[in-house]
Amino acid sequence: MRRLLLTTLAVALLAGCATPRNNYDPLEPVNRETYAFNRALDRAILKPTATAYVEHVPQPVQKGVRNFFGNIDDFFSTFAALLQFKGTAAVHSGSRVLVNTTAGIGGLIDWGTGLGMRKGEEDFGQVLGFYGVPSGPYLMLPLYGPLTLRDTVEPIGRYFMGPLDFIDSDAWDVGYYSLYLVDSRSKILSLDTLLEGQPDEYAYIRDAYLQRRWASIHDGHPPYALPLGDVDDDGDEDNDFDPGPTDPPLAEAASDVAAAPVDEAASQPVTEAASVPVAATASEVAP
Amino acid sequence: MKRWIASLVIGLIPLFALAANDSPEQITRKVSDDVLAIIKSNEKDPTKVRDLVDARVAPLADYTRMTALAVGRYWRTATPEQQQALTREFRTMLVRTYLSALTVYKNAEVEVKGSRPGAGDDEQSVRTEVSLPGQKPIPVDFSFERTRQGWKVFDISVDGISFIVNNRNQFSAVIRKDGVDGLIKLLADRNNALKNGAAAK
Repeated sequence: MRRLLLTTLAVALLAGCATPRNNYDPLEPVNRETYAFNRALDRAILKPTATAYVEHVPQPVQKGVRNFFGNIDDFFSTFAALLQFKGTAAVHSGSRVLVNTTAGIGGLIDWGTGLGMRKGEEDFGQVLGFYGVPSGPYLMLPLYGPLTLRDTVEPIGRYFMGPLDFIDSDAWDVGYYSLYLVDSRSKILSLDTLLEGQPDEYAYIRDAYLQRRWASIHDGHPPYALPLGDVDDDGDEDNDFDPGPTDPPLAEAASDVAAAPVDEAASQPVTEAASVPVAATASEVAP
Repeated sequence: MKRWIASLVIGLIPLFALAANDSPEQITRKVSDDVLAIIKSNEKDPTKVRDLVDARVAPLADYTRMTALAVGRYWRTATPEQQQALTREFRTMLVRTYLSALTVYKNAEVEVKGSRPGAGDDEQSVRTEVSLPGQKPIPVDFSFERTRQGWKVFDISVDGISFIVNNRNQFSAVIRKDGVDGLIKLLADRNNALKNGAAAK
């Protein structure tokens, strides 16, 4: 009996070891639990609140709230741009903060955009990325959402630099963060249909988040695509299979691309197929 | 009216004939103008927009390679019939999810920012920015490949998020669990649900 138990345990452990699917999400089991928790909370409270907010709160108020939080983003974005020596971006974001905080009554009105000051999207995670800090493991935080270990510097930095810390009131804090959550959620309500259609919401969000971060750190032009693949049987992440241009014959291309027959031979790149006979002839000719 | 249509059709023929020699950048410019025009003139009818845009972009998309890349290494294990079915369902999914939502972009502007070489001479990526009034422009990149019928698109990435990559892990998880047929069935079921959902509305 004991041996049976031990064997079962060993098998379970081995199975457990075999499950890490990739190198960039080592905490996947925990993350998935957190995601399920977040999603349940979202369905029960946050999403209904955000929907009601969008439907019932007057447009100008919603706009003011969004501008207000946007102004705070600009404040941090200015410092993040400076730390990356992005002078132009820092000037734009900095001027936005100056104009919108004063003339825009604490950020409620966005005059900056009309004056040609571009909104930046720098953050402290990108600063670390700029200096070559790797992203570290992917994290799914309760109530917060997706993040990587490196990018935790953003919420932590914001917490310590808080420009509104002079307001020392719990009621303010509760109001501030609740409104922040509702406003943030209302921005992405339209993505829900897309998300719910995915076979695996968790993986979809993770892969989208990591790719987007990778692109922002390189200001939209990453040197190569972020390798996001499951570890296969050899233990590497060689998940790609690229048949090259599939190039269906003209007649079929005109009627229906999707219905064009594709077999292994046809899906090979044309150049490769063409080079085979050439190589064969060459070896025959060569003595 | 009939003559008007006839002249329109005749006018379009050289356009399509020319398309084969266009550079990826030119193709992107033309197609985005056409797509925006379709959206503007049919903004009340998302289904019509979807079908018209689908017809416009179909000759320019290499759906088979798109699907193969999204399925990843399991593509090689699929039979030709399975590969065809996968391509068909993946394409339907892309059309139903993304093209049905285009009416939001009725006031959008597309700015083609230029192109850069991809992997090898036969690939190029065209960078664009899609902007809606009062919103930060979203970078949208199109990956083109050279085929015998001119340049075709095999991947699109929005704000750095590639269609292909974002489906790969999900698809391989399904294939590991239920096999290639499982994935075909899942996509088909979802496409049916989307169809019924659209019909119910």
